[in-house]
Amino acid sequence: MPNEINRWAHFVEYNIGNVAVRPQYCHVQNPGNMTMPECKIIDFEQGWEFMEKGITKLKNILEGLPEPQFSPEDYMMLYTTIYNMCRQKPPHDYSQQLYDKYRESIEEYITSKVLPSLREKHGEFMVRELVKRWSNHKIMLRWLARFFHYLERYFIAERSLPGLNEVGLTCFRDLVYKEINGKVRDAVISLIDQEREGEQIDRALLKNVLDIFVEIGMGQMDYYDNDFEAAMLKDTGAYYSRKASNWILEDSCPDYMLKAEECLKREKDRVSHYLHSSSEPKLLEKVQNELLSVYTNQLLEKEHSGCHALLRDDKVEDLSRMYRLFCRIPRGLDPVSSIFKQHVTAEGTALVKQAEDAASNKKAEKRDVVGLQEQVFVRKVIDLHDKYLAYVNDCFLNHSLFHKALKEAFEVFCNKGVAGSSSAELLATFCDNILKKGGSEKLSDEAIEETLEKVVKLLAYISDKDLFAEFYRKKLARRLLFDKSANDDHERSILTKLKQQCGGQFTSKMEGMVTDLTLARENQANFEEYLSSNSAANPGIDLTVTVLTTGFWPSYKSFDLNLPAEMVKCVEVFKEFYQTKTKHRKLTWIYSLGTCNINGKFEPKTMELIVTTYQASALLLFNASDRLSYSEIMTQLNLTDDDVVRLLHSLSCAKYKILEKEPNTKTISPTDYFEFNTKFTDKMRRIKIPLPPVDEKKKVIEDVDKDRRYAIDASIVRIMKSRKVLGHQQLVMECVEQLGRMFKPDFKAIKKRIEDLITRDYLERDKDNPNTFRYLA
Amino acid sequence: MHKLSRGHRDKVQQFIAITGTSEKVALQALKASDWHLEGAFDIFYTQPQVKTVTDSRHLEELYNRYKDPYTDMILVDGITLLCNDLQVDPQDIVMLVLSWHMKAATMCEFSKQEFIGGLQSLGVDSLEKLRERIQYMHSELKDEQKFHEIYNFAFGWAKEKGQKSLALDTAIGMWQLLFAEKQWPLVDHWCHFLQVRHNKAIPSDTWSQLLEFVKTVDHALSNYDAEGAWPYLIDEFVEYLIENSIVQRNG
Repeated sequence: MPNEINRWAHFVEYNIGNVAVRPQYCHVQNPGNMTMPECKIIDFEQGWEFMEKGITKLKNILEGLPEPQFSPEDYMMLYTTIYNMCRQKPPHDYSQQLYDKYRESIEEYITSKVLPSLREKHGEFMVRELVKRWSNHKIMLRWLARFFHYLERYFIAERSLPGLNEVGLTCFRDLVYKEINGKVRDAVISLIDQEREGEQIDRALLKNVLDIFVEIGMGQMDYYDNDFEAAMLKDTGAYYSRKASNWILEDSCPDYMLKAEECLKREKDRVSHYLHSSSEPKLLEKVQNELLSVYTNQLLEKEHSGCHALLRDDKVEDLSRMYRLFCRIPRGLDPVSSIFKQHVTAEGTALVKQAEDAASNKKAEKRDVVGLQEQVFVRKVIDLHDKYLAYVNDCFLNHSLFHKALKEAFEVFCNKGVAGSSSAELLATFCDNILKKGGSEKLSDEAIEETLEKVVKLLAYISDKDLFAEFYRKKLARRLLFDKSANDDHERSILTKLKQQCGGQFTSKMEGMVTDLTLARENQANFEEYLSSNSAANPGIDLTVTVLTTGFWPSYKSFDLNLPAEMVKCVEVFKEFYQTKTKHRKLTWIYSLGTCNINGKFEPKTMELIVTTYQASALLLFNASDRLSYSEIMTQLNLTDDDVVRLLHSLSCAKYKILEKEPNTKTISPTDYFEFNTKFTDKMRRIKIPLPPVDEKKKVIEDVDKDRRYAIDASIVRIMKSRKVLGHQQLVMECVEQLGRMFKPDFKAIKKRIEDLITRDYLERDKDNPNTFRYLA
Repeated sequence: MHKLSRGHRDKVQQFIAITGTSEKVALQALKASDWHLEGAFDIFYTQPQVKTVTDSRHLEELYNRYKDPYTDMILVDGITLLCNDLQVDPQDIVMLVLSWHMKAATMCEFSKQEFIGGLQSLGVDSLEKLRERIQYMHSELKDEQKFHEIYNFAFGWAKEKGQKSLALDTAIGMWQLLFAEKQWPLVDHWCHFLQVRHNKAIPSDTWSQLLEFVKTVDHALSNYDAEGAWPYLIDEFVEYLIENSIVQRNG
């Protein structure tokens, strides 16, 4: 016994209701009005009578009736009574009876007091009563737990019976909760709806009553989930469905989204204040579903305020909100991104059309190879990209879906081409314009860098990257060879960017070209040194030779132009010099790229003419004879008709008439005669006589086409070599995949190449399945 | 012969090629030996009664009748004479079938070996017999398998020596001849399409795939698959048919 009491020392202090109990070491004596004889057999009736008194006192306290508080002694006595009744030897061990009595007295209290008081109340008042009753019930259980504590420790533990608290809660659940939960739920839901409509409600009350649903589950959420949450969610759905069906008709898209966002915020708030946290995802999902999922299309496609209109009017904030709302819904962003894509595609296509119209208007007046309009077009496309990339980054938080939409949109119109020029060509020309001396754009170094960066980005959208490369190489060659490149650093910087994006193979030739030119400068210095130390060899003419590596540069026609003797000497001298450097390389002279400065001794004054090698050779013919026919010039120069017509036109029909033509017409015909115009003069002392370049576009496209055929052939053979037998569609797919980095081969082209390879016995059709090809080793 | 499996057909061909006998004899011998080539040869050479029924002296005489006076071959004149004797128009498709039987390498030519070997395998050694046999040849075209072989044979037979593809005019002539038998309703459109849009020689693959196309794709093109492996000329032909509303595709 002292042992038992000793344990009480572990309880420091109890605060039960308004009764403070401070257990002490004491033998039970003098329990005031509650006397209990000690240390003799207590029979059940007697014991229980004593207990009942205590319990009634407790009930009275709970009911708020005037009753003195429990003193520690009272409490001690009650505990001791139970203790004693349980410790007596059978048949006087009343544990079981006491256990049953425990429940009965709770049940009795509930039926006599709790239920009647609840039944007479309704709505919020009933809810309040329930909260109060629940809290009292818990107090009662705690008190009773003290009284019957000894049962819990041995009797209940030994027999694995439900504990006292559990029994108490079960009583409340079976008798009160079961009867009343439906009404409570309805009352709570109606309170929530009132709050949604803007009324003030007692949130603490809701919090408390909902806690009952949680606590009554004793660790399980079933009661909360089934008896409350399900109905609440259903009501929420109905509530917002009603709301949304009005809003969608009355409100503009931005207003609707504002409301939706506000609603979601409030619901979230609601959860944090009185719903169980497990309801948050379900509740929000419900609201999102009713407000957003159901009306997605109607909302996004509102005619004057939907997603299209927001994009059109640059409503950045609304678009951000749209993203925030729809990113929570599964696949909710799909329609947004698809509208975004449509919008960007339409804007881009409009730019293409604009440029197209401008080009066709322009055509009547003046025909540039690639005019200013196209230049403006590329600039506008860059701006468009900047704008919408910012949208993707800022409004759409860099979501991959929008990156994809942007990419696909640009791929659509970037591959359209303007007025007969492919976008690959336009981009190459745009770069040329920026990189060459005296281009149309005057930009700071930083601006140039930035623009180049953007051009390279755009290139990613263009499927004909090989075409771009070829055009770019042509333009680069002109810049390098005719000393038109404005800045070496920029040249190298764009190559680095291209290399990063398209790989080393893409730029290897271009880099080779730039390097060639650096080497050529050194070479020229060596050559001049060689001449000064070797005065016998000096041809008497200043000669600059740029040695290029075959393969890096675009292919140029190298005709055997009959050079004037003076120039032949130059060529010989250089060859000799070059022999001293290396014996294993063959020099091919490309006269079509040469320029000459020659002195024209006209009667009024001597002038310096800057001409091409072709023009110079033609002019020098007139040192030997005064008058020459077209065919004489042609045979003496050993050039084709096209070239002769071109160069004679530049000398006799264009701005500077160095030659007089007979008859004096505007075009060259094979029957014409030419004479040196000794009277020619100009106010300048030095003039440049341009020779219009041949239009290279067709050749570039042909070259690229040819390269593509090889590329496709190689790809097919590569694939078939490893796979041996492959179905047609798979072969085409793999081929497209292999080549996609450089260009988008069209299916027909691949088919033609396959058939060609069949003819050339690389492949054969399977005899039984003509859709399958075999590799013939 | 069309009922035979591929392996058996090959064996018959091989047997005929080596022994120069007729198909019938070859079949007999092979069947008797349970489709062992070696065994069949044994049977063929040890049992003279199965052996060729042709008289090689007669064959020699026939050959000499048509042989070109300057080369050891039958050339255009000889073939014209042969046609006369057989009372067959040289343009008639049976001449193609005959050439196929003779495994002639080139149109309007028979080498001595092709001619004599061919007649031997047909089991024919006189003009009369050949005339009889030729009447039967027309019906051979009705046989799906034989038609297939004759069709593919025709490509090599008709093309210029040393060329890989068949000149368009010749190809068109051959198609009209062959598809008159097959009754392909689009043959004229095909030929017209080629003349207008293509106007180049026809590669072997296109030639053989066309027959596949004719055989497998119905006239309304409903089972034509644009993603399939048809040669691009056939794809373009289909586009042409649809463009010009010659064929309406539903769905």
